[in-house]
Amino acid sequence: MWQKIVGTLIVVLVLNFFLPRIMPGDPFNFISVEEGSVTVTLTEDQIAHYHAYYGMDKPMLEQFTTYISRTLRGDLGISIYYNRPVSEMIGERLIWTLLLVISALGISSLFGSALGLISAYHARESSILDDLLLRMMTILSEIPDFIIGLALLIYFGAHLKWFPLAGATTAFAVYDSAFDAFRDYVHHAALPCLTLSLSSIGDFYLLSRQSAVSVLTEPYILTARAKGLRKRRLIFHHVLANAISPILARIFMKMGGMLSGAVLVEVVFAYPGIGKLMREAVSMRDYVLIQGIFFYVAVLILIFNTAADMIFKKMKQRGFHEKL
Amino acid sequence: MSKKITLFLIISCLSILFIGCAQSADDNTANAASPENNTEVESQQTADESSENNASNALEDTPTVIRLEGSDTGLPNPFKHLTRGPGMSKMQILYDSLLEIDADGYIPWLAESYHIDETGKIFTFKLVENAKWHDGTPLTAEDVLFTFEYYKTHTPVVDNLNIDGTYIVESVVQSDTWTIDIHVSQVDNTNLSRLGGVRILPKHIWETVDDPIAYDAPDATIGSGPYYMTHYDPVKGEYRYEAFDAYWGPAPAVDAIEWLPVSDSILAFENSEISLVNVSADLLTRYEGDDAFVVRKLPSFHAYRLMMNMTDVPALEAVNVRQAMAYGIDREALVAKIARGAAEVSSMGYVPKTSKWYNPEIEAYAFDAAHAKSLLDGQTYHFRLLTGNTPSEVKLAELIKLDLEQIGITVAIESVESKTRDEAIKTGDYELLLVNSGGMGGDPDYLRSIYGNASANTAALSASTLKGYQNETVAELAIEQAHTLDENQRMTLIHEMQSLIATDVPMIMLYTNQDNFVYRASEYDGWYARFDHSKLDHNKLSYVVPTP
Repeated sequence: MWQKIVGTLIVVLVLNFFLPRIMPGDPFNFISVEEGSVTVTLTEDQIAHYHAYYGMDKPMLEQFTTYISRTLRGDLGISIYYNRPVSEMIGERLIWTLLLVISALGISSLFGSALGLISAYHARESSILDDLLLRMMTILSEIPDFIIGLALLIYFGAHLKWFPLAGATTAFAVYDSAFDAFRDYVHHAALPCLTLSLSSIGDFYLLSRQSAVSVLTEPYILTARAKGLRKRRLIFHHVLANAISPILARIFMKMGGMLSGAVLVEVVFAYPGIGKLMREAVSMRDYVLIQGIFFYVAVLILIFNTAADMIFKKMKQRGFHEKL
Repeated sequence: MSKKITLFLIISCLSILFIGCAQSADDNTANAASPENNTEVESQQTADESSENNASNALEDTPTVIRLEGSDTGLPNPFKHLTRGPGMSKMQILYDSLLEIDADGYIPWLAESYHIDETGKIFTFKLVENAKWHDGTPLTAEDVLFTFEYYKTHTPVVDNLNIDGTYIVESVVQSDTWTIDIHVSQVDNTNLSRLGGVRILPKHIWETVDDPIAYDAPDATIGSGPYYMTHYDPVKGEYRYEAFDAYWGPAPAVDAIEWLPVSDSILAFENSEISLVNVSADLLTRYEGDDAFVVRKLPSFHAYRLMMNMTDVPALEAVNVRQAMAYGIDREALVAKIARGAAEVSSMGYVPKTSKWYNPEIEAYAFDAAHAKSLLDGQTYHFRLLTGNTPSEVKLAELIKLDLEQIGITVAIESVESKTRDEAIKTGDYELLLVNSGGMGGDPDYLRSIYGNASANTAALSASTLKGYQNETVAELAIEQAHTLDENQRMTLIHEMQSLIATDVPMIMLYTNQDNFVYRASEYDGWYARFDHSKLDHNKLSYVVPTP
């Protein structure tokens, strides 16, 4: 397994370096402006000066070897656009993104799985509840997250004014206590977190429903029913215990998808996470920052996937699910 | 177990609702509170307790805080601010220059007076004697001398002191504590604005800094402007400036300026989270006619233009083809359909119609499909049109395509993102190219960069990006106008240049957008427009009490 991880990391490092540089464009070339905006145009001499300052005038191979040796030493370089150390920038923002993604993952997996189990239980009776949930969740999982985000922002933020329109904290806030700070964080994260949760709850619902429907046909469930077990105990003990492995694996596998989903959500809510930074880095052709972010994201996904693998194996050993 | 889960879910839902409702009540209170109560301060410098000006008196009757849309635009000093307008303007509020810009032109600022000798090569600036840095150190001619020497080897982000790769300052001589003579290498009409616009650095801070791009110590934002920075959070894009009570010049108009992140500027303005917003033409009706709001419409000094590659596409070398395209595109219709009327058809001579240097006598290229056809004399052409991927650009390209088809020119549209399009401008990998670009405010010397033989400087486009255009007369006029000190004679030369450019049509100027600023006068009405820049929030004079 470790060989695979190292191999993947090498591929990531190589792609990280070359992919951004294949894109047309130069980080210092500003000719066009967006409507309502302004940009400073750099002279040719300035562009040459900055290229030399950031080592972009050197041969590609030399740049690549410098990049590899620096990365191995833990130095991700200085952002070309922001003029700040990339590791520092990512560290400052990653915490906000992880806060969003992990909370959203928790909420969507919890509610999605619970609803899936309930739906599955009623599926065999062709109930309205199952039909309704199935339709709702299928539709929800097809709506792009930024649309959900905009709808929530306009209704709960602008119309009802229950939640702030932007940011991760109240601007310039000083907190009297840790609880105040926590409350402010939750208040600001609520809508972006809800957006991400709603956009992925359908996945967990469908997976959980499908697994549970399959478990519900097992003979031991029939036995449990015959014994007169209460419905709630049957669903949350016997069915859940046997349908949980794919759900757990999905939680870790979903992490990567949600990190990328966070890009749009962070932009909609001006949330200072890594996704918003990645968008800026790509649009500005900030190679060093792009490399750093992609490296971090790739490592995170590798960690989560490895964790998923390990959990899978562990559960298999313990015989959680015979079909594993 | 199941009861516990149910209880947990109920508590979670109630907590979120509680936090939501409780916090919105808090926010309303915070908005009304004074800035001292709801802000934290990472004060880098303390304002000197000087009573040399009446700033504090002026503040008593004025609003407390201006709040603006923010994002990280870099550390606001001349070396580290980002290349976007908001980054530059935040830096300019902190750092003073010898001259400032108002609605008519350049005005004395740190230099209370200036003199240009008869050769046009020696500029004498007499500084105000009560200027101070934010840390209380007096600002003297020594700082000015240091600044011009430092910029020679340490290029700032906005570099106006190099022309064609040559540093224009030959030498700087300090006559006394407050007077400085700057000798320039050659006579150029832009010298005064170039020297006057330079942001003066505190010698006592920067003289020991070898790498200003990497320098980010707490004193890296100490300037001499009317505000000093007390808070900068690059992650959240928050900045807070406070009034510098010891400021030598016009009093700061408010106690503080805050830039904070917003998800949508219109929603934020409607919620009174920000004081000023630039709205699209579609939204103007929402604010026009409502006494609570003031609407200011200003030309943006940016224009959409259709570039033509005359090097690689032989058909575009022919002036009749370029003229036919200029006549064949209904630019008034573009203004009506794309800009919803909030724009103006551009002059084919490049100089904006609002500029005093504009020549109204040049060919206007009013839409005339029949004349365009006659110019093509029955010939048909096919071109590839490269455009950006914003909705406006794509729609614009589609309308141009329809217009050109009417005169016998078919167009294949290729839409790419902006950096790819910008790169194509430099490499020349295009046939026709649609771009919205700036560099149209201020001194018309930009004509030299774009249509003459000078290298790119302050203009967004340049002779090197205008593929295949060469007119020796225009190039000679471009140089002559730069060195002619007689303004009337210069006006004649610039008019002549516009006339020639309009005849040659090296690129088709489409239309100039309009900025539509909206604010509540009851909140703050000191917004001020410069003669060369339309963004009210970028102008330093917007934040000081106007002097009679």
